[in-house]
Amino acid sequence: MMMLQHGSTQLLCLTASSGVPLFTRGASKQLPFSVIGSLNGVHMFGAGHGVVLSSCETEGGGKVVWRVFQDSMMLIVVSGGGQDGAGDSKEDEVRLQRLLENVWSCMVLVLGQDELTNVRNVERLKRDLRSCFSLIDQLLEDRQEGILGNLTHCADSLLPPNPTLLQEALDGFTQAADSEFGCLIVHGRIAAATEKWWRLAPPEVVLLSALIRSLSASGSASCDYPVFLPQGSPTVAHRLLRFQLLPGADVCVLCGPTPSLHSAESGMVGRFWTPLVETLRDCLAVGEHSLPRSVSLRPDVLALLLINRETRRSVSCVRTSTNRPLGDPPLPSKARCWEILKLFYIFSTTRYFNQEETLCVSPEERAQRANTDDFVLGFSHQPLQCYLVTEECKSYGLQTPQHQLFLLAPLSVPTFALRTVATQTLSDIVGATGF
Amino acid sequence: MLTRGNNNNMAQVSPSSGSIIVADWHRCKDSKEYFSKILHKKRRKNFGLLESPVMPPHVAVDTVHYKIFLSGKSGVGKTALAARLAGLNIPNMHYETTGIETTVVYWPVKLRENGRVLFFRLQLWDCGENALRRFDHLLPACKEQVDAVLFLFSFTDRTSFDDLSNQIAKWTGAPVGRVVKLVVGTKFDLFMHCDVAERDVRNFQETWSVPVLRVGGEVSDGLGDVASLLNCLAEHLWHQDCVSARRHSQQETGTVL
Ligand SMILES: Nc1nc2c(ncn2[C@@H]2O[C@H](COP(=O)(O)OP(=O)(O)OP(=O)(O)O)[C@@H](O)[C@H]2O)c(=O)[nH]1
Ligand SMILES: [Mg+2]
Repeated sequence: MMMLQHGSTQLLCLTASSGVPLFTRGASKQLPFSVIGSLNGVHMFGAGHGVVLSSCETEGGGKVVWRVFQDSMMLIVVSGGGQDGAGDSKEDEVRLQRLLENVWSCMVLVLGQDELTNVRNVERLKRDLRSCFSLIDQLLEDRQEGILGNLTHCADSLLPPNPTLLQEALDGFTQAADSEFGCLIVHGRIAAATEKWWRLAPPEVVLLSALIRSLSASGSASCDYPVFLPQGSPTVAHRLLRFQLLPGADVCVLCGPTPSLHSAESGMVGRFWTPLVETLRDCLAVGEHSLPRSVSLRPDVLALLLINRETRRSVSCVRTSTNRPLGDPPLPSKARCWEILKLFYIFSTTRYFNQEETLCVSPEERAQRANTDDFVLGFSHQPLQCYLVTEECKSYGLQTPQHQLFLLAPLSVPTFALRTVATQTLSDIVGATGF
Repeated sequence: MLTRGNNNNMAQVSPSSGSIIVADWHRCKDSKEYFSKILHKKRRKNFGLLESPVMPPHVAVDTVHYKIFLSGKSGVGKTALAARLAGLNIPNMHYETTGIETTVVYWPVKLRENGRVLFFRLQLWDCGENALRRFDHLLPACKEQVDAVLFLFSFTDRTSFDDLSNQIAKWTGAPVGRVVKLVVGTKFDLFMHCDVAERDVRNFQETWSVPVLRVGGEVSDGLGDVASLLNCLAEHLWHQDCVSARRHSQQETGTVL
């Protein structure tokens, strides 16, 4: 059965107890009601027999993943399969599992857990859920190039040329706003954050970044948004204040009832940030590369994703102007490089490297979603490096106690040289930035 | 008591269009050097909070700041109006605004009286209607030190028009103080689905003596789409300031006497 067109994804949300449909998003052609009913029915049937149905595959290469959150809401995602013709079903499943987690987090972020778990009035809940559609659609489209946090649950970061100045201003600004949670986002990536911001659960950091990106994209000057934190504060809303310092550079604080948006904006924004306009412009100039110019990458690096395993932060970049010697095969496009980077990340973390599940899920849930292949569990040791050669490029993964590096190189680089390229790139970046 | 009453009445009298500021000034040659400061590559420039239009040192221009609240039910087009007035991309889907978002619009204006040029910095406060209902702290934040309210209705939604008088009544009376009130009818371009007759709008305008402006349709790159609304808003804000300044000086004279 092929339920959906290739490459399209549809999300269904139902009440877990009675299977009342609450909303559907994604895919231009909606699944017929009877199919939705069956998808829910087959899961219920399993549950009645003590079986948790978590995913299945269709003959047409499609995929269905089910997940119940807090015993109250069922999310089902149906994918037409063959995203860009890449990745097998394993990659797809990991991607869809993550999607469901992220969608649920969005719902909690906007509405709070109480409203989602103690359903008193279904019609009202349906109406209120509409306020989550903006973020949910953004997750489904997943169109933002160069943002990998939704997948890795590591905060997409940008390493500014002048970190100390920005950190001091941010700390001062956050304190003045009666808060301990502050962050500076440049081009959608965290350029600086207070210590407490980094102590939020990693998926929350990623989720807040996603919200801030969508607010920033609208071009508005400032915001005062009520937000629940899925792990830290699922039932009490905080206020997320966001100020657009320059287009593309936003500073945010999480705070309580004070200060008002008006007073923070008129009394604090200028005071702390006007002296740093030029520093902020330098930071904006770093652009999508997320690494300062002081880091010189080897010319044979096409793209990279570097994760700091301890801080749960990542930097990533795709290079556009790598000179290609005449006669070499064409390089994959920029968009394609981002896609391959994601697929290679999933490939490596499911087959070879530890998947660093953050400490935010219950043990049962973790067992339910054990994505790691049996293959890995069969290893008597922990693989430290892996590589993959395809028609498009060569990929290399490297793991140290502190870092994970995923790197793409052109086909012209000899396979035996990949290890050197990777280890040198890692030390180049860490040496220059201390990341 | 008497003096205040008098002045309140004065504030109620709307300035007639173009009596205080030069209408259609953006079409005049002498406005070019000012309007060029709010444009970038023929599109409106987006200013961060740390930025503002910069004139050469010999042309001193004052900037006057105002806070404007956009009021109207969910889906009426508040977020779209804010984007339209600022020259930002207008969302084509309706996504509820789940908190307060403010948008800054800079607009140069020439005063008729003395030819003085001012930059109006209009900060539009847009809060999703459902968010207002869910969280009690949002409305007071929007009302704090507000200078004007734009009451929105949609030409395609009769109930939003019928509800206007209720909405305006909430903003009349002692605790609110003086605020400029304008009505904006959105989705004027969807005339096939129009649910509010021209006659009704005229009647409303006469009963309430509140100006009604109309917006809708694609935004062209020019300033013409938004000039009449922004000029009208600027004119009323400036008029209100003059009235309260006069009242202030009268009160001061009173104290001296
Ligand atoms: N054709 C047309 N569509 C409009 C106009 N103004 C708004 N819309 C559309 O109406 C829908 C709702 O507009 P929004 O601005 O998001 O509504 P809102 O008042 O901000 O709603 P809440 O945030 O829920 O309170 C969007 O799909 C807009 O594209 C207009 O003048 N003409
Ligand atoms: Mg809105």
